[in-house]
Amino acid sequence: MQRAEPTLKARAVKRQFGHRVVLQDISVEVSGGDFLMLVGHNGAGKTTLIRVLAGLLRPTAGTVQRSGATGMVAHSSMLYDALTARENLAFHGRLHGKNDPALVQRILEQMGLAPHGDRRVATFSRGMVQRLSIGRALLPDPEVLLLDEPLTGLDDAAAGIVREVLQDLKRRGRAVVVATHQLVEVVDLATTVGFLVGGRLAGLEPVAGRDAHAVMARYRELAANG
Amino acid sequence: MGSFWTAALAIAAKDMKIEWRTKTAFASALVFAVLVLAVFYFARDPTAVGALDIAPGALWVTFTFAAMLGLNRAFMLESENRAMDGLLLAPIPPSAIFVGKFLGNLTFVGVVELVSLPLFILFYDLPIIRQLPALMGVIAMATVAFVAVGTLLSSMVVRTRFAELMLPVLLLPFLIPPIVGAVQLTSRVLSGRPLSDLAGWLKLLASFDIIFVILCFFLFEATLEE
Repeated sequence: MQRAEPTLKARAVKRQFGHRVVLQDISVEVSGGDFLMLVGHNGAGKTTLIRVLAGLLRPTAGTVQRSGATGMVAHSSMLYDALTARENLAFHGRLHGKNDPALVQRILEQMGLAPHGDRRVATFSRGMVQRLSIGRALLPDPEVLLLDEPLTGLDDAAAGIVREVLQDLKRRGRAVVVATHQLVEVVDLATTVGFLVGGRLAGLEPVAGRDAHAVMARYRELAANG
Repeated sequence: MGSFWTAALAIAAKDMKIEWRTKTAFASALVFAVLVLAVFYFARDPTAVGALDIAPGALWVTFTFAAMLGLNRAFMLESENRAMDGLLLAPIPPSAIFVGKFLGNLTFVGVVELVSLPLFILFYDLPIIRQLPALMGVIAMATVAFVAVGTLLSSMVVRTRFAELMLPVLLLPFLIPPIVGAVQLTSRVLSGRPLSDLAGWLKLLASFDIIFVILCFFLFEATLEE
């Protein structure tokens, strides 16, 4: 079967800040239905890679090509504390050319935040902010969704909602890239795992039924080999 | 073009809504304006210095520094929760962000000026009803120039450690030409001079408006690079 045209394609990406090289020679591509899980220790370059793939950072060398809308969930929520959840989504919707109150309501419901839609974000818990941030990223109906530690600070119920969203995206043929330490939560959804070691992609392999322990064992093996 | 203006107006409206709700910058700017006008009023010896000699300088010192409080705040909003990333991920040109911020700042400074102007007239006991339209025209022209530069520099300094100190340091040198023009024009307007006496300074101020707005519009994207 012929493989679909990649939704996101990075070629020989290098990124440095001053003299410090954070990413080196990263090549990766994802197509609709792909679920790439990025694994790496703190400082391995996961966040920088996600930001480069999203277009928020320009690569020092190499290229990144995206087709279609891109959504991103980062450590920071990209939300305004003084606005309500509904106002935040409506504002981002307008930026994406989707001035649609029904869409905003649907996303609030999907993220389990409908009863809190008219509350200011400043009054939200960390988990609620994270769910709203994911809702914000879903507004443009992205072809590819990039998530940096999306499950941090979420309780089981909230993590369940996020997992449902990710499953739904995969089912609908969207591409997903997740950088996470919480492998247990997403390893069964992932199709591919990328091992980031010291800013290099030490391996890009199919998950092939491996569990979180097996993935981490493989990461340690690659990290030990440098 | 439609999405450009939709996005720019959405950003301006969002900034105004947040300011209306929090009133952080507006309250500080207004208190500052009243204090400066009062200090100038009490520092003047009415038997030695005429109101018309000191009023133009007092007016523009008040407006310039009060406006800076708002200009500082403009991009602080976007650095909280890295909201700027949300704007950059939207399919809009960076110049739409500049225009949105510029319009938001212009409204903020305009409101501060509108509230301070009656106080200024009251403090200096100026019979300027006839000159009021001309004075407001001069204020509007000078405000456009310094808000344009202030918006650009505010986006530059927001990622620095001492953003609130850096903005005045960087901004004031750029403001000297338009503020000198504004003070000269204000002095002539308050003295009831004919329009022919104002033409030279008006042309100069109009040139600064055009140059500053166009330059800032095109330079803005460069300030976003990390």
